[in-house]
Amino acid sequence: MKLITRKNFFTIACIAFTLMVTFKLVFEKLMGHVDRYYTENILLCLGFCIMIPAVLSVHYYLQRFPFLPVLIVQYLVVVALTIAIVAIVDTVSGTSTSAFADMIVSVTIPYFVGAFIYYAIFFRQVKKANAILNELVNNKE
Amino acid sequence: MRFIKTKEKGLTENYLELHYNELDAETREYISRLDNTLANIEGTVDDRHISVPVTDVLYFESVDRKTFACTEKMCVEMRDPLRSVVDRFADTGFLRISKSAAVNVYKIDHLQGDLNMRVIIFLKNGEKLIMNRGYRKEFFAELEKIRGKSRA
Repeated sequence: MKLITRKNFFTIACIAFTLMVTFKLVFEKLMGHVDRYYTENILLCLGFCIMIPAVLSVHYYLQRFPFLPVLIVQYLVVVALTIAIVAIVDTVSGTSTSAFADMIVSVTIPYFVGAFIYYAIFFRQVKKANAILNELVNNKE
Repeated sequence: MRFIKTKEKGLTENYLELHYNELDAETREYISRLDNTLANIEGTVDDRHISVPVTDVLYFESVDRKTFACTEKMCVEMRDPLRSVVDRFADTGFLRISKSAAVNVYKIDHLQGDLNMRVIIFLKNGEKLIMNRGYRKEFFAELEKIRGKSRA
């Protein structure tokens, strides 16, 4: 089953964008930080919220390949696109010297947290299925 | 409907007997499930015609457009395509695990996940099958349904 389809793609992107911006605003309020590049950062958030679901949606078509290489290749694609976006922003309005490293860290952390959650859910499903199988065998006996 | 199990010493073959006054929907449902469970599959092994109880089948597999029903002792070549075999015996506990295989859940010893998100199915006879990622969600959902039915 496709998790991200043409029909729900924009819904997912919008939800991700809302969550990201809300988290950004709450975090800044709590830390008392004032974002000097507010517009640029909001547009960057929007770009990532469209780019990451787009890359992840390809996952369905790669099911015949082992998961780990797919995960790594998708990560590399996300990083390459991140570098491209930062390079474009840098050309248009200029960025700080650590912009590339900062943005790579910013996409790496949620990406691998997401992958970890995906793995945790998978192994929990397998454990639950084993419990069901035991129950079925016990019922039969 | 009541279900009574009676242990009888000295019985040469186990049997099921159904007592009813009227064939209502529930009873028909049980009979239809039993018909499938007690069914035999027909096929050939080395050009010999063979009939095997479907409950003995560990898994159905499709290789080079031929469907095989594999038991602990042999693989029986069947005439029907895999899809129709799985549709016919879905109520007996056969679930798709890949495009070319369906496993009997009652013959599974345990499942194991690997880092590539594939599920390795260990059968009671020691054989291993691989479940593709694309069939995982459906497999777990069907397993829940089977548990629901067995509890009912």
